[in-house]
Amino acid sequence: MSEGPAPLSRLTAELSQLPGIGRRTAQRLAFHILRSDESDARSLAEAIVEVKEKVGLCEVCFNLAEGPRCRICEDPSREVSLICVVEEPADVIPIERTHEYRGLYHVLGGALSPIDGIDAEDLRIAELRRRVEGGGILEVILATNPTTTGEATASHIADLIREQTQVTRLAAGLPVGADLEHADEVTLGRAMAGRSNV
Amino acid sequence: MNRLDMSRTFKTEAVVLRTIRYGEADRILHLYTREHGRLGAIAKGVRKPRSRFGGRLEPFFRLALVLHRSRGDLHTVTSAETIEGYPRLRASGTGIAAAADACGGVLRLLDGVDEPNQPAYNLLCRYLELVDADPAGPATTGAGMVAFRLKLALAAGFAPELSGCARCGATDHMTAFSGAAGGVVCPTCEAGSFPFSAEAHTFMVQALGRPMADLLPGDTAAVRQAGRAIGETLEHHAHVRLPRPEGRLAA
Repeated sequence: MSEGPAPLSRLTAELSQLPGIGRRTAQRLAFHILRSDESDARSLAEAIVEVKEKVGLCEVCFNLAEGPRCRICEDPSREVSLICVVEEPADVIPIERTHEYRGLYHVLGGALSPIDGIDAEDLRIAELRRRVEGGGILEVILATNPTTTGEATASHIADLIREQTQVTRLAAGLPVGADLEHADEVTLGRAMAGRSNV
Repeated sequence: MNRLDMSRTFKTEAVVLRTIRYGEADRILHLYTREHGRLGAIAKGVRKPRSRFGGRLEPFFRLALVLHRSRGDLHTVTSAETIEGYPRLRASGTGIAAAADACGGVLRLLDGVDEPNQPAYNLLCRYLELVDADPAGPATTGAGMVAFRLKLALAAGFAPELSGCARCGATDHMTAFSGAAGGVVCPTCEAGSFPFSAEAHTFMVQALGRPMADLLPGDTAAVRQAGRAIGETLEHHAHVRLPRPEGRLAA
């Protein structure tokens, strides 16, 4: 059965390579692009090319950056003595949304996972260590995910830099607004262990 | 719930071997179940802070699960209760590395085997219990990890021949090990083999015969040889290459 003109088939095939996009969704998106204004389609194509051409990694913290350094590392109002360590660039965004943190970041590029063969050498842990050894860092906040791999990564980093600076870990516990009776024992146990004075 | 829905939902006990992030908030789980062997499942929305699964669907958790059978390879997790969370294991880098090695072995060696293997399941649970009891103890040493692999190979039907030459059946002077032959070999049959000490032989025999909790330590060279022997046997006969934790193969 014919799948339509060759350019449409090509667009469908390209879109179906995207994560979470199956063949039928790709086809629906391709038809939507075909029906849309030429200016909208061109704008989408240019945005894709631009993001590949202009966005790289910051040479200091490995967050996403348009130039050699990201906007956070370039911002003179940030507290340079604080480093928040995250797994991926996408993790910076929710922390920035809190407006509670005014320090710098360090993006590891993943988490230690022995079962997947991801070792310390595969992450930017050596670069973090160099930043800490460079001096002037008063606190490193470990904000890796509260998963098995995230905890293993946090524990490994803490062991490496504990001698040079204060190392803290994001608190773990109950989500605000949740019912206690629905909490799982792991989360509740962590909440109990990390209880604070009021 | 109608009859059709009932038949597509089933309960099972499982250890989470590995997880992979999927989509915006989902996670794919590689499970080893007591009743069905290796299964894949998807846990929808599990990465959201208010997920009803909470922190249970993480590697090394032993769980009572309710799964909804799908037409594809992945079932859907509809309920999860913790049987064992192994919290001490999870708080130790050594414990996590040993548990990951054990789960990785089960994942690779029993992949594609959709039949239950209760001895393998019980072995994995027992090993995780021992690691949790003492994350810096004997179970997480090279000797403990090699003993686990040997017992797993036995449970999977790939135990090396240790009682006599794997090629000619001779019972004296076993001086080498051949992965291709699948066991110890005599001097006449030692082509393609590597030297295998009496200590390594004793270590493997004791590791097979004793419970994990009563494991005797072996010397470093013997444990390394035993690790190599199991690795080469599995490569030749199960077509599985397990990572060689050489740095940890100290007794």
